[in-house]
Amino acid sequence: MKKIILIATLAVGSLFAQVKGDMEVPYISYQIKMGHGFDAVQANCLMCHSFGYILNQGPQSRLFWSKKVDKMITHFKAPIMKDDKKTVVDYLFKHYGNGKLK
Amino acid sequence: MQRREFFKTSIVASAAILGTNLAAAETHQPKVGQRVSEMAFPEKRPMITYSDRPPLLESTRATFARGITQNDEFFVRWHLPDIPTHIDLDAYTIKINGLVEKELNISLHELKNDYEQVEVTAVLQCGGNSRSAFTPIPGGIQWGSGAMGCAKWKGVRLSDLLNKAGLKKDAHWIGFNGLEKAAYYKTPNFVRELELTELDDHVIVAYQMNDEDLPYLNGFPLRLVLPGYYSDSWVKMLSNITVTDKYKSLFFMDMAYRVPDNKTEGETPEHHAKTTKPITHMNVKSVIGYPENGMQVYHNSHVVVRGVAFDDGHGINKVMISVDEGKTWEEALLKQENGRYAFTEFRFAYKPTKYGKLHIMAKAINRLGNEQPFAKEIPWNHGGYKYNGIDVITVEVV
Repeated sequence: MKKIILIATLAVGSLFAQVKGDMEVPYISYQIKMGHGFDAVQANCLMCHSFGYILNQGPQSRLFWSKKVDKMITHFKAPIMKDDKKTVVDYLFKHYGNGKLK
Repeated sequence: MQRREFFKTSIVASAAILGTNLAAAETHQPKVGQRVSEMAFPEKRPMITYSDRPPLLESTRATFARGITQNDEFFVRWHLPDIPTHIDLDAYTIKINGLVEKELNISLHELKNDYEQVEVTAVLQCGGNSRSAFTPIPGGIQWGSGAMGCAKWKGVRLSDLLNKAGLKKDAHWIGFNGLEKAAYYKTPNFVRELELTELDDHVIVAYQMNDEDLPYLNGFPLRLVLPGYYSDSWVKMLSNITVTDKYKSLFFMDMAYRVPDNKTEGETPEHHAKTTKPITHMNVKSVIGYPENGMQVYHNSHVVVRGVAFDDGHGINKVMISVDEGKTWEEALLKQENGRYAFTEFRFAYKPTKYGKLHIMAKAINRLGNEQPFAKEIPWNHGGYKYNGIDVITVEVV
């Protein structure tokens, strides 16, 4: 408790956002590998997160990518159709896979 | 050797480790030398950038040559894609409801004027910081060592707010919710729950960081500050505190930020632990900020190794440095002026007398006697959490 320093006087000055106007998060265009299934990735994944979030997971197994997509469907409620799921997993494993099934 | 060549060699060396098809798990030094992005995010300098939506930004290693992390270099980690891009400061309130005698909607003006204002300097670290140290690669962002920082936070005590609202007899759990939102209505919010017994007087609701308003990306206008705890519970753009009697099952509590519930907190890639526990308190760790991997230093010159060390608030007792592969260790000088939750700065003067590659190792020991293990001694976990290996950087003496 003694490490919390009491500030004797009332706070002066008011809060202000240090950005003028609305804040804008820049858009980053990641180098995306084109190929079969990319359309499905674009339609199903990029709604919620950037491509960077995918490729910065590092190369992963087919099982890993399959479980990730399942997590998006089950826990994050992403409306991904069954056919699309397979297409997305195939794409992710082909381009961002580590060659192992599991 | 040219710096560039030297980098190439170390990349090849680490690729060799990562590329092995061994089933056995292995822990090594986390990634180094990631480049900063050319693009700066609002109120930030260009940082190591993993994602723009949600924003995920890492501080460079050089940041950790100093004990206070500047606001424009401080790491950023959000979970959901939709962050409010505008905050109406006159309308913003923090709501306290649930099992309280009196529901409160506290404006920012009230928060700054009607409550005792307090400060605490504390380390904020992502539980997945240094995740890139683990092989096989655990899911999640492959952070180097820069998903952490230390700032002076100013705000009001959470306990003062709860006392004002008046806790009912059955109050047991506190849920914290911020303003970030998912793309889909049904996606769970990033709500964190903490047991009332975990919340001491050091927990504050902060509006300032290093004497400035919080940067947007660090949770403007208010965030929870939980000294000693990993950052997953330091809810940003805090808007609602709800008091309950029972633990509510939530995705971000039940599924994320958990480690195996056993003594070593380890598991194998083939057999994940059946039971897990939340990551909560930080373990003892140090990071060398200078020199950096791949740098050249002159033979017989005066090199001052600098870095930071911290734990969950027990406090750092010693930082030991080795320049002979861990055979012998010498004590670094410590600077501890910001309290026990802050970064301890260390420095170690060294004169390299041998040409060629030099490994510099740093090992922190806290007041409980807990010390950092060698990376290879740290058991693997599938979330890649809580890495705290002895830090090793490699320079070239020329």
